Amino acid sequence: MRTTVWMMLALFAFGAISGTIYWFVTYEPAGTLLLWSFSLMPLIVAGYLVLHGGVRVGTPADDPEATPDRAAGQELGTFPAASTWPVVLVLGSITVGASLVYGLLLLPVGLGVMALAVLGLMRESRD
Amino acid sequence: MERPVAAQPEPPHRVGPVERLTSTDHKNVGILYCVTAFGFFLVGGALAGLMRVELTEPARQVVSTQAYNTLFTIHGTVMIFLFVAPFGIGLANYLIPLQIGAPDMAFPRLNLTSYWFFAGAGLLILLSGVASASGGAAMGWTAYTPLSELRYSPGVGLDLWILGIVLVAISNVMGGVNILTTVFLMRAPGMTMWRLPIFTWNMVVTAILGLVAFPPAVAAFALLFIDRRLGGHAFDPLGGGDPALYQHLFWFLGHPEVYILILPFFGIITEVIPVFSRKPLFGYLGIVLATIAIGALSMGVWAHHMFTTGVVNNPFFSAMSLLIAVPTGVKFFAWTGTMWRGKIHFTVPMLFALAFLLNFLIGGVTGVMLASAPIDFHMNDSYFVVAHFHYTIMGGSVFAIFAGIYFWFPKMTGVMLRERLGRVVAALLFVGFNLTFWPQFVLGLRGFPRRYVSYPADIGFDTPNLVSTIGYAVLFAGVVVFLADVAVSLWRRVPAGDDPWDANSLEWVTTSPPPEHNFDALPQIRSERPAFDLRHPELAP
Repeated sequence: MRTTVWMMLALFAFGAISGTIYWFVTYEPAGTLLLWSFSLMPLIVAGYLVLHGGVRVGTPADDPEATPDRAAGQELGTFPAASTWPVVLVLGSITVGASLVYGLLLLPVGLGVMALAVLGLMRESRD
Repeated sequence: MERPVAAQPEPPHRVGPVERLTSTDHKNVGILYCVTAFGFFLVGGALAGLMRVELTEPARQVVSTQAYNTLFTIHGTVMIFLFVAPFGIGLANYLIPLQIGAPDMAFPRLNLTSYWFFAGAGLLILLSGVASASGGAAMGWTAYTPLSELRYSPGVGLDLWILGIVLVAISNVMGGVNILTTVFLMRAPGMTMWRLPIFTWNMVVTAILGLVAFPPAVAAFALLFIDRRLGGHAFDPLGGGDPALYQHLFWFLGHPEVYILILPFFGIITEVIPVFSRKPLFGYLGIVLATIAIGALSMGVWAHHMFTTGVVNNPFFSAMSLLIAVPTGVKFFAWTGTMWRGKIHFTVPMLFALAFLLNFLIGGVTGVMLASAPIDFHMNDSYFVVAHFHYTIMGGSVFAIFAGIYFWFPKMTGVMLRERLGRVVAALLFVGFNLTFWPQFVLGLRGFPRRYVSYPADIGFDTPNLVSTIGYAVLFAGVVVFLADVAVSLWRRVPAGDDPWDANSLEWVTTSPPPEHNFDALPQIRSERPAFDLRHPELAP
């Protein structure tokens, strides 16, 4: 995990430094903001990993000498076999989008389908 | 040490269409992605064929001016957003859990949702070109303002196109989150980050690029939509808006997108070359650092697409663009170093990898030329740029895609593709590609602007255009032979075995195709070549 944190911090530093240099070279706000905003995403990931012990606690994956039995009994969660709700969610999203182009009459239909799909996905994830 | 026995292949299980379309198994989602993306490649290729037919001779003969505009708009959009990038995500879906020793992706439902957003986006983008009586999307894949404002592009085609691209962006963000979470948190014991297969490393960087580059583009498209339908003026100069702001936001996605289109395929080539050179990868650490450097630098080069606008700092972006050649050169050096004094096997994947090296070298060198602002001022919007772009993306990514298909098809299906037919495909595609796109460098140098539907006779444009169309016909034949190869191979079913190539990474340790949760037993991972270590325990570190 330590490698991941350092990689993310390096990307943060690159975005922040290049954004700052860009500002003093160009005084152009759009590009400066874009570069600074680029640096935020890796900072968020690095921050999350640090807060959750990513630097201090080594996982079996980080141990070069780890044997496969180190993963024995490790809970990875359950993996669903199939789901129809993603298709429904996308159909709802397309309908919402189409309502913005063809007429707002379609909007409630699209939002309803999307809500149904989200509820379906939530219910499925509890099973 | 006794070599662990791979799980016995399960009896063939016929998957019904409903199961195929709803299964969240990462291997199924990966195959869905790849097959759908390849379908879009055929559509995009057909559109390119219509353009080539139109340009074979001077003057206009086959399609109307507006239809031609729609052709190049949808061709570009389909190839970039619906074929090359999603094919990389499809391969990542299939391979990453297998390469890191995980049973599935971290979020299987999100994975399937990401696929359906991509498929829905494809439908909208195709519809945007044909389903609008008041005018299909015809503004080019960049949708520059003010051309894409309602005043100049009045039909709903462009609105559908915007919705399609937004769905692509959502799909990419979902895929990126899934890839990063899977790689960071679900690696097998001993699979440290410095033992990750290079393909997986490349997908990590690609996922980061997608996560940071797509949101600003969605903002640009949302503002464009508001301009068009809700009376906004963000990019409309007549209302006080700024068209250059659109270009900033678009290219902040658009240029990293070029690396989203190439990094996964650098990964494929880096997997293929060591296997068929019978040598370990030369400079693993250098390749990983070069990949990260390319990813980082690619975020700071967007405005080299805006040199001629006069509103950006050309020296800054020129320097950043030239810098990116350094890590790319490191990769070329590592690939060459890997082959140096290797025992090279000229299998079909290796032939495609070698073709990739030649084509991408030309694409890269012409890219360095275009990174120089004075040269770009002369070449901007000419066929030179078209040729350069196709040498990187088609000569690079698409050849790597074919290398990847021939390399991993046995793992995915349990059967081999035909070696002889594969060689024919490689030859036809290489010859056809170079016949098609080399003359376009000549056209560009002679001043032929891109996106023109016709041209005057006898001013130097006729012959290159004719040769280019002949090249397209050869390319077309190559794709037909490839499809025949797939069909014949699936019909005859020559068993591949678990590891037909004596390959290196972890996916080759399990059965072909892999069982539902990938591995019945994992080997101890001692290096970045676990499959090799299993075959040669005496050499394992």
